[in-house]
Order: sequence, then C-alpha cells, then structure tokens
Amino acid sequence: MILAVGVGAGLSLAPSVALALEPEITSDTAAQFYEVRSPTGETILQRRRLTTTLGVSVYDLYDTPQDPSGPSLSFRARMRYDADYGGRGAETDITSRSLVPGFERGPIDLMYGYVEGRRFLEGWLGFKVGRQYVVDSLGWWSFDGGEVKITTPYYIAAELYGGLEQRGGMPLSTPRFERDGVWRGDRSGYDPSLYPSFQPNDVAPAYGAALESAGFTWLHGRLTYRRVYNTGASNTSQFANGLRAPVSYDGTRISQERLGWGFDGTLPNLGGIKGGLAYDLYNAKMANLFASVDLYATHKLTLSVDYDYYVPTFDADSIWNFFLAMPMNDLGVRAAYDATEKLSFTGSARGRLFGVQTEAENVEQPTSPNGLASGNYYPKSSINVMAGGNLGARWHFGEGAVGARGAADFADNGERLGIDVYGERTLETRYVLSARTGVWQWDDKLRRDRDATSFQYVLGAGYKLWPRSLVYADFEHDMNRIAGQRFRAMVWLSVAVSK
Amino acid sequence: MSRRGLGAIALLIAMLVLAACTAFAQDQAPAPPAPPSDVPDAAAEADPPDTSAPPPMSAESAHAYATSTDVSSGTSPLPGNGALPLKLLPPGAFEQDRGPSEAVFPPQKLTLRFNHKFHVEQQKLQCKTCHLGATTSESVADKLTPKPTTCDACHGSNHDDLNTVQPGDSANGKCNFCHLGYKEGDGNLVAKFEIPRANMVFNHKKHVVRNINCQQCHGDVQELELATRDQMPRMRGCFGCHQQPEAAARGEAKAACETCHVKGGAKEGGRIKTVFASGTMEPPRWLHNSQHTPDFVQRHKYVAANDSQFCANCHKEDFCTGCHDGRVRPRNIHPNDYLNMHAVEGRLATQKCTSCHREQSFCLGCHQRVGVSMSGPVKDSGRFHPPKSEWSDPPRRPGHHSFEANRNLNACVSCHIERDCVVCHGGQGIGGGFNPHSGGFAGGCTTQFKRNPRPCYVCHDPGAAVLQRCK
Repeated sequence: MILAVGVGAGLSLAPSVALALEPEITSDTAAQFYEVRSPTGETILQRRRLTTTLGVSVYDLYDTPQDPSGPSLSFRARMRYDADYGGRGAETDITSRSLVPGFERGPIDLMYGYVEGRRFLEGWLGFKVGRQYVVDSLGWWSFDGGEVKITTPYYIAAELYGGLEQRGGMPLSTPRFERDGVWRGDRSGYDPSLYPSFQPNDVAPAYGAALESAGFTWLHGRLTYRRVYNTGASNTSQFANGLRAPVSYDGTRISQERLGWGFDGTLPNLGGIKGGLAYDLYNAKMANLFASVDLYATHKLTLSVDYDYYVPTFDADSIWNFFLAMPMNDLGVRAAYDATEKLSFTGSARGRLFGVQTEAENVEQPTSPNGLASGNYYPKSSINVMAGGNLGARWHFGEGAVGARGAADFADNGERLGIDVYGERTLETRYVLSARTGVWQWDDKLRRDRDATSFQYVLGAGYKLWPRSLVYADFEHDMNRIAGQRFRAMVWLSVAVSK
Repeated sequence: MSRRGLGAIALLIAMLVLAACTAFAQDQAPAPPAPPSDVPDAAAEADPPDTSAPPPMSAESAHAYATSTDVSSGTSPLPGNGALPLKLLPPGAFEQDRGPSEAVFPPQKLTLRFNHKFHVEQQKLQCKTCHLGATTSESVADKLTPKPTTCDACHGSNHDDLNTVQPGDSANGKCNFCHLGYKEGDGNLVAKFEIPRANMVFNHKKHVVRNINCQQCHGDVQELELATRDQMPRMRGCFGCHQQPEAAARGEAKAACETCHVKGGAKEGGRIKTVFASGTMEPPRWLHNSQHTPDFVQRHKYVAANDSQFCANCHKEDFCTGCHDGRVRPRNIHPNDYLNMHAVEGRLATQKCTSCHREQSFCLGCHQRVGVSMSGPVKDSGRFHPPKSEWSDPPRRPGHHSFEANRNLNACVSCHIERDCVVCHGGQGIGGGFNPHSGGFAGGCTTQFKRNPRPCYVCHDPGAAVLQRCK
C-alpha cells in the first residue's frame, strides 16, 4: 500500500509526458480483527488479518485508439499479501504438534498479471499472455500461460489456451483454482512420514479450447473443453509413520478433463432462456446442469423458473470421486418486480430433491468386515426433500440505497431463517455512512441444543479521499446464546491513482 | 421438514403470488395521463400509452396556434398531454416505455413550448432548418438546439443581444408565447432551458452521411408538439445496426461498447464508464437477461458462466475477485454472524461453498487450526457431529453420516482429509472395507484406473485381486 501511494504520488507529481499510454495504480487494504470462539466460550483463534493488494495497469500500450474497433494492448497485474498476525508460530513449525500443513502466516501471491491484445489483424486476433482467469461454465479458474482468440466475421469465435494451472504451494500462488478433493501444498522440509495425506505440489500442465458465438446480442453460446494433468509423486499410503515409509505413485496423470456448455437467448418482448452444463469426462458423469427461463410478464414484472442439477466431482487424484454421492435437483421459481426505476422487489422459492439409496449394493464384495449384520441396511425412502426461498427489496435514492434481504431454508438436517436490512448513504459526495442489522435463526437438527437466534448490527463510516479512493471503518457486533457476544472490527483503505 | 418450515414456505409462496397479482393488477390498470415530460422522472414513470394514433392537426387549429397566446399548445408531446403511442417513439422503445436511461440522457429542463408538428407540417420546415448543427456535429458536447435568433425571422423578435431581446409585434412574437412562466415585467429574465450533454459517444455527421435520417434514431418527432427525452435513442434501436460485439469488420456500424459508451480509460480500469451524476448504467433485462435486480448476486452465475466477456465490458477482475478470491466476507452473500451459522448452511448447500471456496484449503486450513477436524492439532472431541450411536453405528438412517455424505459429500470434504475416510472405507488395513462405491462402479472404473490409478492405490494394494476388475 505504501508502495502504491509512493508510486501514485510520483505519477501525480511527475511532469506530464505526451505518451498515449494510461497507467494506473490501485491498492486495497483491509485489516480485520475478530476472534473465533468455541461453543464453550474460550477463544481458540485470534484473527488479526491484514490483506493488501497492489495493482498496476497500463492501457493503450499500442496506441490510443480513436476507432473503437481498432487494436488495443494493455497490461494488468495485481499482487496480494494476506497475513494473519494472530497465527501462532507453532502452526507453521514443522517440528510442532500444532503444525497446520499448508498454513502460511503471510503469503504473497500474484492474483493476475497479463498482457492483453484485442482486435488485432482487422479485429480477428485477440490474445492474453501471463497469469489470467478463465470464467465459463467450468467455473472460475486461473493459469499461467497464453490464450489466443480468433473472432471471425462469421458469427463464431475460437479460443485456445495452454500453460500451467495455478496451484497452492507454488511460488506466488494460491490453491483456490485447483479442483477440490486433494490436500496439497508445499512439503519442503517435511519428513515423508509427517502428514502423509498432505500431498506435495508440482506443476500442472493444462490446456483448453472454446468455441463461442459472436455477433448477436440476443443469442450467445460457449462450448468449452479443459484438461489438466497432475505430475510428480503423490503419497498413497495414508498411515505412514516412523516405522512405515509412505508409498507413492509417481507419474503424469489426469487431474481434470471436463466439457462445458452455456447458452442464453432473449426475445426482448417475451423473455429469455439460459442453460448450461459441465460434464466430467474422467468420471464420465454429468456434474452440473442448469436451465433458467425468464418470462417478461409485464414491463415491470419478470417471472422465472430455474432448474439446477449438481453432483460433486473432484480432482482425479481424489478418492472422493469414488464415493457414492447423490445428485441435488433444485427447482425454483423467481419473481422480480420493478415498482419504479428506483424501487425493486424480488422473491423466490425453491425445492430440492435428493435421491437416497434404497437397496443394498456390492453384495458380492465385503462390506462389513467388522461383522455388523446391519452394515448393508438401507432406508426405504428414496426421496429426501428440502426447501427454501429468498425475498429482497432495494430502494435507490440520490447517493444512497436502502435494502433488505431475507432467506429461509428448511431440511430435516438443518434450518436457517433470517433477514438483513441495510442502508448506505454518501453525504456531500465524500462522507460515507452505512449500517446493517439482521436477525437470523438457525437450527442444527443433527446436533441437539445447537439452535440459536442471532441478532447483529454493523455500523460503518468512511471518507472518500478522491475518486475511487476511500478510507472506511466498520464495527460488527453479533450476539447469540451459543457464542455469546462476538465483535469484529475492520478498517479498509482503497487507493486509485491514474495519470 | 418441520411444520414451521412448511409454514414459512407457504408464506413465501403466498407473498410471491400476492406480489405477482399486485404487479399484474397495477400493470393492467387503465393508464392515467402522463405527467409533463420536463419533470425529470416523468418520462421514466410514464404509464402505458394509448396505442391509437394522435388526431391530425387541422388548419384551423394550426392558425389558432400561430396567432393565439394560449400556452397549453406545444407544452407536451401530444395535445392534452396524451400518452405517446409506441409508433411515435424511437425504434427500440417498448410498450409502457419508461424512456431512455437517465444515466445516459440526464433529465432535461424544457422551459420553452414548441410545436414540431406545426412547424414541419404547416410551415414546411425541415429538421435541419432549425437543427442545422445536427448534420455536422461530431460530438455530444455540441449544442444542437437552434439559437434563439433562428426563431426571429418568423416570430418578429430580435434575440441578437440576449440582454436586450426585442419581442415581436404579433402575439406569436411575445416572450410568453414561447418562454414558459414568463410574465410581464420579467424583462429579459426567462427560465433556464437545459438539455445536458448525453453521457455517451455520438457522431451525428457519420450517421447523416450514411443517409440515416432523424426518425431512425429519434422517432416521429414531426408528429409531436413538444419533443422530450422520450425521443432520445434507445440502445435496442441502435443494435439494429450496431449489434456485433467483437465481430470483425461487419459493416460500418462499429460494435464495441466503446463505440457509443464512454470509455473510462485508466480511471475506470479500462472498462466503460458506468457511473454518472445522473445515475448508474445497468444492463436492461433484455440484454442477456442480466438486469441487476436485488437477487442478481444469486443468479449472476448464469450470465457469467455463459459470457463472462459481457460482464467484463463494465467489470474488471477486481470486482469479481472481491468475492470469488477474496479475503473479506461479503455481507451481501454471507450475513452477519456467519461464522456461527455457516456449518448449517454448508450442510444444506443452498449456496454452494465450492463456487467460491476450495474446501481442502480454505475450509480445512481454518478447521484444522481450531480443531474442527480429526487431523487438526486439537483432536476431535465428538462435538462437531452427532453421537457415535447415531452418526456412525448401524443401522443407517436419516442423520447417519452415510446419509449426509450421500446428499452433500462436499460437507465432508470441507473438514476431512482422505485418511479420515480411509480408516473405515479403505479396502485394506484398518478399515478393511466399508465399501463406499456406488452400484455398478466396477463396470466403469477401467477408464478411470487407466487415466489416473492414484486414488485406487490409496485403498487397494496395487496387486489386490479386486483391482483386477478395473484393469
């Protein structure tokens, strides 16, 4: 952050040079102070988090485009420092019994950093080189490498990309973008028998391709494919100790191979439809399928129906791909009503159906080596239901807004019901005030006496230093019968400086 | 589900139905007369217009307009402030149109009365007679309303020096003939006339030289008395020519957003500018179904999953990473006290945790630190699951861990590492075999084993006979 201010001040004070390019320095810093307490009241974690990011962007590197369809070249990068000063040294000490593998007290990562070219070769060629995100029906993903996009005048664009998936434990990286199901990180310095389940990281070659429609505002579709490999050794023995060395499997193998598709179409006077899927080729399983239909009932009212199908799938190194997991089938209805330009309401209700096994399986294989006679017992019911819904309202006024959001979810293993009301207002274009309060009730039906009603409020105030730059602080107070009183304070500083 | 749950659902549904019925009732109700359009919100709040064509102006009425001091004429788009029929509005306008975006076309102060229909039909004037600049303008900063002196030739007035304006001799030359609210004795003081510049990029000249006439963007102004903000172009109408985002050289109509919208440059992170003093630009519902309704945060995945580049026209990465790769809890997604209630929501999976969090790192790291994990520094004390007799002992029934794993395996993965499950579910060693596989698993495991045998070896010895089924 100090660096950001310094560079920003330099930019501001430096003599203006007749260059076409536009530089920009931004920084966000958040300091959070709170405690995590056990149900019996003692503090088990003191969070003193400081997260700061520094972003550098330079636009119009190629030229200042007078023609919006002309080529453009830009550079964007952002780094992050995320520290928990409440963390204990023992948690990162390999010799300590309190070691938490993978936990770092102050890691630095490169969130993104790429050069992007758009509309080269008469609009045909676009590209990105560096650490970049890919967002599509296969999720939110990041890799280091290159991407080329060819946009043709024939209503279709093609995209190819390749590189290395961003993986936790590697330099300047976080594990956020790996597929789930594997506990993985930097094992440098670890004895092989220490936490054998904690897998060593290694590079993960990846590539993908996409075909996408171009040229329609009322219709869009994207077909996407991605393959990622795991490399290096992986421990397979979970119970290694000082007497038994872990057994490992070493070789290049699939991490993920998935196919995704998304589309939407809109008829402005009637409504729209959206849909998509993600198919896991390794598991040969439809992992996600969704569809949404919107009907523009009147100029102010939109009625919608949503369907979502989901089955968890994991990294191909994970054993959990092989565990029985039943799909979630969510069916919901929504309504959005714009009473005026400034006042809007939304509401939704949804139901979920689970399938559950009703018959014994794998009877040829040993299922109960412990000799439990009822080890293969399955319940009679085949459908399990849960339901819920949301209500929302928002009113914009001048430089402020007031809103409310309620939600309810009910199932035989838990319930949640509550509402938040919030308001924010900017006075004289620079003084920011905000407030939020809510009441939420939840009930963990699997654990007795774990129901509670929580009341909370947040009060915040800030000052806009200059456009896109803000210093802000808020205080949160939560109270419920299980955790008692809980407090959280946060200070936020955003700085943006451009030439 | 409890009775309370069913009751709450019924209440939710009833509220939805009530809201829908109310909306229908309001939208189907007869339209009251539209308010004067020089009030900022008037156009936006206009109710459904009458779709019948306006009555033609007779010669008598035209004469009366020119010679009388009746100031009701030319103060609204149609006589009597009637609602505008769709066919007179610019292309792309809807029935029940609320007018163009205030963010793009800020509210105007129209303090002059003017009858376009009379001047075009009766006086045979062309648009460019008064709006000459519109044929040569290259910027929205240009003022395209006629200079006051333009009126002098016909009205007999003299606006050469605005400090000493001379009214004409006839009734239509008097100040109060055009200037609303003008009273005798006001001298040269008239109400300020204000049409703020549009917050967009537009070159009239480029369109005029391509024989695009005024009506193609502004609608049938010649049929109206007063022209208001309602006659400003609609984006949907522009798409008639400009609808090719990112397409290469398709016609002369450029398709990039910056063609019409103000590019923010570094000040906007390289995206188009969306926030103006007159409002914030948000996408209409007919554009990818992406209207930013109060529940958009819950359904934006449908838009982003299909066309993230569409989102990127206005939002840069930092906007997304605030939640998807953030370190500060977004309160509009996770309410206050979420630390206490997240276990219930995680089990219910109404919001899929994995859409933002990687469980074996984000969740596991914290859970191990606080001991909510068998592998954590603080060993499991049994307080995070039901008693063993219900959670893991047979028989299986609702509330048994196999049920919970079946319905939401992610909830298990957020706390447990492989070893925790292999203890009992492994094919060898301690567990010896509570088989976790689904029915028919052996029939489809060959491909998986071939492409990545690592997970098989976690539970099965490489030489195990049972593995032969997958080889």
